[in-house]
Amino acid sequence: MRLQYILTNTTQGIRRNLLVVASAVLVVFVMLMLVFGAILVRWSIQDELTGWTEGVRVIAFLSDEVEGDEVGAMQIEIASWENVEDVIYFSKAMALEEARDSMAKDYPDALAIIEEDPSLLPASLRIRPTEAADYREIRDRLVVMSGVRDVEVAAEAIDRLVERSNKWSQFAVWIGFIIGATAIVLIANTIRMAVWARREELAIMKLVGAGNWYVRLPFLLEGLFEGLVGAALAIAVILQFHQGIIGLLQTSLDPEPIVLDGRFLLLQSLSVLFLGAAAGVAGAAFGMVGLLRD
Amino acid sequence: MIKLEGVSKVYDDVTVAAKNVTLDIAKGEFVFLVGPSGSGKSTIIRLLLRQEPPTEGDIWVAGKHLNRLPSWKVPLLRRSVGTVFQDFKLLPNKTVYENVSFALEVIGRPKHVIQAQVPQVLRLVDLATKADRMPLQLSGGEQQRVSIARAFVNRPLILLADEPTGNLDPGTSVGIMRLLDRINRTGTTVVMATHDHAIVDAMRRRVVALERGAVVRDERGGVYQQSSESAASPVTKAEE
Repeated sequence: MRLQYILTNTTQGIRRNLLVVASAVLVVFVMLMLVFGAILVRWSIQDELTGWTEGVRVIAFLSDEVEGDEVGAMQIEIASWENVEDVIYFSKAMALEEARDSMAKDYPDALAIIEEDPSLLPASLRIRPTEAADYREIRDRLVVMSGVRDVEVAAEAIDRLVERSNKWSQFAVWIGFIIGATAIVLIANTIRMAVWARREELAIMKLVGAGNWYVRLPFLLEGLFEGLVGAALAIAVILQFHQGIIGLLQTSLDPEPIVLDGRFLLLQSLSVLFLGAAAGVAGAAFGMVGLLRD
Repeated sequence: MIKLEGVSKVYDDVTVAAKNVTLDIAKGEFVFLVGPSGSGKSTIIRLLLRQEPPTEGDIWVAGKHLNRLPSWKVPLLRRSVGTVFQDFKLLPNKTVYENVSFALEVIGRPKHVIQAQVPQVLRLVDLATKADRMPLQLSGGEQQRVSIARAFVNRPLILLADEPTGNLDPGTSVGIMRLLDRINRTGTTVVMATHDHAIVDAMRRRVVALERGAVVRDERGGVYQQSSESAASPVTKAEE
């Protein structure tokens, strides 16, 4: 009897303010779509970058004068540094092989010049840091090392990319928060309107001894409904189009397709659903403040 | 059943609505709160319903000390106190039956209890044949009887009535008073705020007269205006 009464009142409240309820649902939908989209984009970029950072190498190009035992000594010294995982010597011949593999197709003219004078390519030491972030310290020590002509690290480009992606993610999350606050205020407004429309009935309910939760529950459920429907719409749209959104990143990052883990998607969908529910209940609770006093 | 000890209610530190009111109402009593508009009758009713707290003093209703009653227990208090108002406070979109059953539904009474009690109380108020009517299809007296049925359907220990005949003609008012008298005879304590001289004089029940928030007279078998005979059986000495 009680449950039926609560559910009937909830559906009546929704039907009574259908347009306002629809606008609240749409705002929750936009908010959560932004938040969910930002989460997926951020995760995709992080996933790509993890692979990249694992492959970070600090390359110390050696002077032509450095030979034999000297190279061995340098290798042993660098390998003894605590933030170095391993050191590989890459001879001029190996550098030439690598150039042939990577340049034959796209840069044949440049390769021809190298083939004419293979001494153009320097020998190098390729150093794998224990942690990708250690590359700076290793680079700084190599730059001042005798026998090292130049030092190169691809990680600087990664740093810039991470920084940029972080900024965009933060921006999206902030926009999500702002729209989230708007959604809560809008839901609060729909609930206030519903409470106002039923004020006489509610006053009588309280006079005849209806419990506080009994009076409040239909409104909380109405807010919950608005939050959940908005969240469900956001999840449906993102799940439908997420490959397209991530596809935009793929071309600029890596030719390998980014595939989102199903478990990850499920967990994030549940989080978004929870966020929608929380926004709905918070909005409803906020909307009832001061209206349902004894 | 109801006890007020030195109760005062002051609004905005200026308006005194109740001033040092001390009252003791026993189970099964019928008490009129009388006095002109603004004398504090409705304030006393609101205080007894815990719609607002007193500024000073202590209130007990149906064994509950209202000053110490947590807000989550207020609904339990109100289930033992029925209320009737001058403006009936009926829901216009519900039938007579639904208006009465509503009071039981919202406190979670099971369906079979509702189906048994509502027709019974509608018979008591002589509205059994009009159970399907909407409030606006009823006369003022009938609407007030629906309101009384709703207040009494849960068999409360106390019935508080705030000017229940205020919107009714004298003939209809007599019918309402008979009904309240019948309810009182079932053992329900009735406290009725009114400024209807004729009713108070005709009923000859306990009369508590208020002026500017203070009790100025409290007598059994009293009338609206104090007379030399009625002053002979005071319940308490009035404070001027």
